[in-house]
Amino acid sequence: MSARLEVRLVKRLPDFTLDVEWIVDGGVAALFGPSGAGKTLTLQCMAGLMRPDAGRIVVDGRVLFDAATGAEVPPQSRRIGYVFQGYALFPHLTVADNIGFGLRGRPAAERARRVAEVIQRLELGGLDRRYPRELSGGQRQRVALGRALAPDPALLLLDEPLSALDAPLRRTLRDELRTVLSEWGAAAVVVTHDFTEAYRLGDRIVVYEEGRVVQSAPRAELLWQPASESVARIMGIPNILHGTVIKAAPDRIQLRWRGQILEAVNSPTRSYLPPPDAPIAFFIRPEYVRLVRKDRGPADPHHHMNVMRGVVVADEDFGTTWLLRIRLEAPGPPAQNGWDLEVEVPHLVYEILEIDRDRRWEFSIHRGSIHVLPA
Amino acid sequence: MSPETFDALSLSVRVAVLATLANALVGIPLAYLLARRRFRGRGLVDLLVTLPLVLPPTVTGYYLIVLLGRRGWLGAPLYAATGWSIAFTWYAAVVAATIMALPLLVRTARAAIDSVDRDLERAAYTLGRSEWRTALEVTLPLARNGILAGLVLAFARALGEFGATLMLAGNIPGRTTTVPLAIYSAVQTGEDQTALVLVAMLTVLSCVVLVVANRLGARAA
Repeated sequence: MSARLEVRLVKRLPDFTLDVEWIVDGGVAALFGPSGAGKTLTLQCMAGLMRPDAGRIVVDGRVLFDAATGAEVPPQSRRIGYVFQGYALFPHLTVADNIGFGLRGRPAAERARRVAEVIQRLELGGLDRRYPRELSGGQRQRVALGRALAPDPALLLLDEPLSALDAPLRRTLRDELRTVLSEWGAAAVVVTHDFTEAYRLGDRIVVYEEGRVVQSAPRAELLWQPASESVARIMGIPNILHGTVIKAAPDRIQLRWRGQILEAVNSPTRSYLPPPDAPIAFFIRPEYVRLVRKDRGPADPHHHMNVMRGVVVADEDFGTTWLLRIRLEAPGPPAQNGWDLEVEVPHLVYEILEIDRDRRWEFSIHRGSIHVLPA
Repeated sequence: MSPETFDALSLSVRVAVLATLANALVGIPLAYLLARRRFRGRGLVDLLVTLPLVLPPTVTGYYLIVLLGRRGWLGAPLYAATGWSIAFTWYAAVVAATIMALPLLVRTARAAIDSVDRDLERAAYTLGRSEWRTALEVTLPLARNGILAGLVLAFARALGEFGATLMLAGNIPGRTTTVPLAIYSAVQTGEDQTALVLVAMLTVLSCVVLVVANRLGARAA
């Protein structure tokens, strides 16, 4: 199934306005953004649980809502499965009755067959007569999925499907959920405020901020090319920095930052050409900063570009990696709270280079690892 | 047991049972609407239903006479058309008990319905249920214990109703004299034995009701 979704919504609430528009061609869309950005409200409008003030909702060519023509399909007939935050399983019904709830009106035999099929496919065998309170968090999630999928919906909506779970379980279930979504082939919209979840689950990510869409892109594109500084901040990207443009060309941008001249690659899909001396935001992923090894001679301009010199002022052990906070040897106040760059190195590198006692380093950043953020 | 005592007891039970049934029919839908719908006049309905809880019962009774008495707003046309008036019949005792008990049921049931997670209802809508079917299959079953506790309280209130009943139905032995009224009459006329028997009966019944209501309340929580 590759359902095309067209969503355009305006909904005014007393202290919040949702005004969004996005289109997805099949697969899983992840609505990503901070809490209170309007993601759940979008799902409720799509499911018909909330009436938008304006807009249009089309699922696979079927108009579910259109303010212009007054068309409005009631939630009962939208053929949309909804997995609620916290799952909203019926506490007075067994697992089998929860899953079969949406199959009312079908012949009893067909209903029983479908319930059995769903229970088997979601590996809930043996639990059919249990009540929701007797299930683990992961089992509840699967029952909620099964209940939503049993009537064979045209679209599945999932609101923070992992937030009710404990941290260790979240990762396992995130991957399990991804498998279920791809196996069932259902078009789906997942709401999450966790970027890793959005990236793991979504083929396309729609970034929400304060009731608006700030970017909608395939997940890989979003990862490397956030459309603006605020998108990068919502994504939680470290090392978002501010410099000044020296020269911008379609393929390269030269900029000045902290007394250094840095060379960055311009975005291949949407080159950005700010005038000289314009302020410019960019980010550097901590895992893409290279330390220059002292045992192999001085930095070599053929291998190393954007070479800088600095001191490790703080470091934190994250188990498999170390996070180093580096302050450049340059005049002026550092770019972030007492340091200029966060750099991530694998444990092994930290040990081999003996960073715990050797704090003064040269490092380099490939021009392709400096990502310019359009204003 | 004297025939008067028996009459009072059987009338009281009849009145309380019918008043509880009327409460279930009117009060449960009312509690649902107040909990789940936003409509014009909702505040007014809420106020009117709750008022008998705080007004002196005689005041509520007075309003019932104004409404239903032979010269009342509804009573006068009824009397003109049929020559019958509800005042001073045992039906009046049922009406008085119903109105006095209604706030207890509506408030308890409404709190129980309010505590049902709205996402459960939304889930039922997306799974094809109408609002009506959702209320019957999801909301009311989940609010069941609170609603039953409210009905038990309403029954107890109806059984003990005195002031409003006296105003609208009077105190006619054998016709409108319920147990609370019979106790009052017995004390007034010095029939201590009769009063004691009736008081004991009401006390025991009330204790039973309280225990049942508490059990239901505990299960609801």
